[in-house]
Amino acid sequence: MAKKDKTDVSFMKSLFAGVIDQETIFPYPKLPQDEQENLDMILQAWNEFAKDAVDSPQIDRDKKIPKEVLQGMAELGFFGLSIPEQYGGAGLSETAYCRVFEEVCNYDASLAVTLGAHASIGTNGLLLYGTEKQKQKYLPKLASGEWIAAFALTEPGAGSDAAGIQSKAVLNDKKTHFILNGGKMWISNGSISDLWTVFAKTDVIEDGVIKEKISAFLVEAKWPGCSAGKPEDKFGIRGSDTTALNFDNVQVPVENLLGPLGKGFKVAMETLNVGRLGLAAGNVGGCKLLTQMAADYAKNRKQFGQSIAEFEIIKDKIANMAADAYAAESMVYLTSALADRHTVDYSLESAISKVFASEALWRAANEAMQIAGGNGYSTEYPFGQIVRDARINLIFEGTNEILRAFTALAGMQGPGEYLKKIGKALRDPIKGFGLLTEFAVQKVRDVVTKDTLKNIAPELKEQAERFNDFADELQSNVEKVLMKYGKEIIHHEFIQQRIANMAIDLYGMAAVISRVDSKIKDSKSVEQEMPLVQLYCDAAWRRVRREARQIENNLDKQRRQACDLIYNSKQIPFDVFHE
Amino acid sequence: MKIAILLKQVPVKDATLKVNGDGLWIDEDNVTFEINESDHYGLEEALRLKEKHDGEVVVVTMGPERVKESIKQALAKGADRAIHINSSGYSNPDPIAHAKLLCAAIKDENFDLILSGLQSDDLGYGQTGVLVAEMLGMAHATLVMETDVQDGKIKVKRELEGGWFQSVELPLPAVLTIQSGLNQIRYATIKGIMAAKRKEIKEIAISDLGVSDADASGIQMHKIYLPVKTKQTVVLEGDTADIVSKLVDKLKNEAKVL
Repeated sequence: MAKKDKTDVSFMKSLFAGVIDQETIFPYPKLPQDEQENLDMILQAWNEFAKDAVDSPQIDRDKKIPKEVLQGMAELGFFGLSIPEQYGGAGLSETAYCRVFEEVCNYDASLAVTLGAHASIGTNGLLLYGTEKQKQKYLPKLASGEWIAAFALTEPGAGSDAAGIQSKAVLNDKKTHFILNGGKMWISNGSISDLWTVFAKTDVIEDGVIKEKISAFLVEAKWPGCSAGKPEDKFGIRGSDTTALNFDNVQVPVENLLGPLGKGFKVAMETLNVGRLGLAAGNVGGCKLLTQMAADYAKNRKQFGQSIAEFEIIKDKIANMAADAYAAESMVYLTSALADRHTVDYSLESAISKVFASEALWRAANEAMQIAGGNGYSTEYPFGQIVRDARINLIFEGTNEILRAFTALAGMQGPGEYLKKIGKALRDPIKGFGLLTEFAVQKVRDVVTKDTLKNIAPELKEQAERFNDFADELQSNVEKVLMKYGKEIIHHEFIQQRIANMAIDLYGMAAVISRVDSKIKDSKSVEQEMPLVQLYCDAAWRRVRREARQIENNLDKQRRQACDLIYNSKQIPFDVFHE
Repeated sequence: MKIAILLKQVPVKDATLKVNGDGLWIDEDNVTFEINESDHYGLEEALRLKEKHDGEVVVVTMGPERVKESIKQALAKGADRAIHINSSGYSNPDPIAHAKLLCAAIKDENFDLILSGLQSDDLGYGQTGVLVAEMLGMAHATLVMETDVQDGKIKVKRELEGGWFQSVELPLPAVLTIQSGLNQIRYATIKGIMAAKRKEIKEIAISDLGVSDADASGIQMHKIYLPVKTKQTVVLEGDTADIVSKLVDKLKNEAKVL
C-alpha cells in the first residue's frame, strides 16, 4: 500500500459536476484469480478457527475477548492482513481485507472492532505516511500480533469537530523530543494496545508566523507518562476495549513524528477513508447474515397454521433487507477496488458506503428483531445483541451526520470552484473539506448536454435512465444551491443533507448497474438478482426525487421554528390536559 | 525424514447427495469437497513428525482437477510439495488399481514413511494404504493412534476393539494408516497460504504412469442408492386393555423380546 500521488479522479466528485465518469467504475472490478484463491483459503481458515474458538454471546456477557482467541488470530496471521509481506504481513488488497473483515464481523462484532482498530485505523497511518525506518521498527511487531495498535484522535471536547483537539506536543529545546500533553477518549483497544497513532496540536511556522496545526505521532504505550483509563461500559460491542488515554509530559522522539509536521489532519482523514470502508464491509456482512437469520426464523415460525414466512408483510421486510444488502455489497466492493488502484480519490465513495451500509444494517437488525417478535426481544435469542452491536456503526469513524455534511460539501467544492472561476456567485472557496477536484472542474466545461451512461445492457435500461435523469438533477440542484447560498452553504445543513442523500442513492444505483451490467457482459445469468436490482433502484430513485423536490419546496422554516420552541422552553411546551 | 501423505478428496460430510444418471455414482455438480477426514489427521501427523525429525512432507493425491484445492490446503498447512495424479475421466473404483498407480508415481521417491488415512469417507474400502505397503515391500500398521520414531524404527499404538490397544514396532521404511482423532488438526496460517503459491505441484497423467492394467478391475459397481429409512412408528389405538394386549403381542411375535 505504498503512497502514490493521487490524481483528481473521483467518480462522485465528477458526478456533482454533472460528469458521469463511467470508465472509473465500469466494468465492475474483480479480484485477480490468484488473489481470489488466497482469499478463499484465508476465509476457510478463519471459518474453521472461528467455529471452534469464537463464542459471541460469551464475549458479550464477559465484556472481554478471551486471550486465546486473540492469540489464535495472531498466530494465524490475522493481525497482519493488510501489512505488506516484506514486513511480515499478508499484504492483502483493501478488497480482500474488506471481505475477510466481513467474515470476522459475522462471528463477533467486538472481535471485528478490535481487529479493525488494530489492522485498519491503527496501522494505516503508519502504512500511508510512515518512513521506512518507522515501518521496519513497528510493522513486523504489529503484523505478528505481538503488538496491538490503536488510533487516537477523538477528545472529550473534540468528537465530530476533530480539528478542535487540544492535546499539544511541544518540541524541546534540544529539538530531540516533542513533549506531549493532553488526553483522548473513546479509543478502541486503548488499554490492550502497544502503539498509538496520536494526533496533537503543534506549532508550525508559516510565512514567519507561528500557527497551531495538527501533527501525527507514533506513541508507544509503555513510555513514561502514557496511561489508559478503565474500559468503558458500553451498550454494544461490549467485548471490545474502549478507554480514555492520558499523556502527561510524554517524551516523543522526533523520529516518531508521522508524516510532515502540521499535516496530521490529512493523515487522520486518509486513515479514516480506509477505516470507514472496512466498517462498511463489516456492515455488509451483517446485512447478509441478518437477512438469512430472519428468513430462517420466519420459515420455522408457525402462526395461524402456516409459517410466517408466507405472509406478505414478512416478505416485504425480507425483500427490502435483501435488496439493501445487495446494494451495500455492490457499493463497498466497488469502492474497495477504487482504493486498491491507489490513484483514485475515493473519500466520498468511502463515506457514502459507510453511511448506507451502517443504516442498512440498522434497518436489518431492527426488522430481524421484529420478525422474531417476543423471542427476538429475549436474550435467549441473538437478535438483541445484534441490535446493540449494530448501533455503534452509525456513530463511530465519523457520525453519519458528519459524513453527510462531508459528502455534500466535498462534492460541491468542485462545482463551487468552477462557478467562482466563471465569476458567478461565489467569492470564496468552500473551506475545510476534502481536496480540490480539478478533474471535475476541467471536465465540466466540456459538458454541454446532459451526460449519460453509455452502452448499458438492455436489461438495465430503466435503471440506467433513472440514474441519468437524477444525476442530471443532482448537478442542477448543486448549481442552484451554490448560486443561491454561495459559501454560506456550509451553514445550510438541511440542504447539505438532501444533496448528500441524493449522492448516496445515486452512487448505490451506479454501483448496482455497473455490477449487473458487467455480469451480463460476461455472459452470465442475472435472472436471480434482477428483482433485488429492481427493488433497490426503484426505491433509490424515488428517494432521490423526494430529496430533490424538497430542496426548494420544504418546511425548513417550520423545522427551525419547532426547534426554537423546544430550545426556548424548559419543559415540553404542550400538554393536552392543560390547554 | 521423507514422508508421503496419501490424501483423497471426498464430498463434505453434510453434502446433499444425489445419485447420477447411470446410477453408478453420485452427481458431483453442486457438491463441495474436502480432504478425507482420516487423511487430514494423517497430514497433521506427517507435519508433526517433520517438525520433530526434520525432512520433507509430500502430498500424494489422485483425482480430477478439483483436488488441487485440497492439495493447496495441505501445502498451506505446511506440506512441502505435492504429486497430483490427474485422474480426470478415470472411474475405476478398484483399490488395487489405485494402489498400483500411486506406487508407480512414488516408487522412485524412496519415502521413509508413507501415511494414509484409515479409509476414505466415500468408498470406504480401507485397503489402499495396505496395498501400497505390500506393493512397495514395506512394513505396515493400520489403525494407528500414536507414533514415535526412534533410531530408524517406528513405534506405533494401534487401536483394537473393545477399548484395547496394541503397541507395535516397525522398521523403516513403513506405511501407516491413521485413525481419526490421534492429534489435533491445525488451521492453515495466512503465511502458509501465501507460501503455498510457491510450492511445487507435480501433475502426472494416468497414461504416463506406465501401469498397463490401470483399467482392470476386480470390482464392478452395479448400483448405488440412498439408504431407505426402515424405522417406523406405529401408534396403538383402542382402550387400555386393547393396547396392552396388542403391545404384548408385538413384543412377543415381532420384536421377539418376551
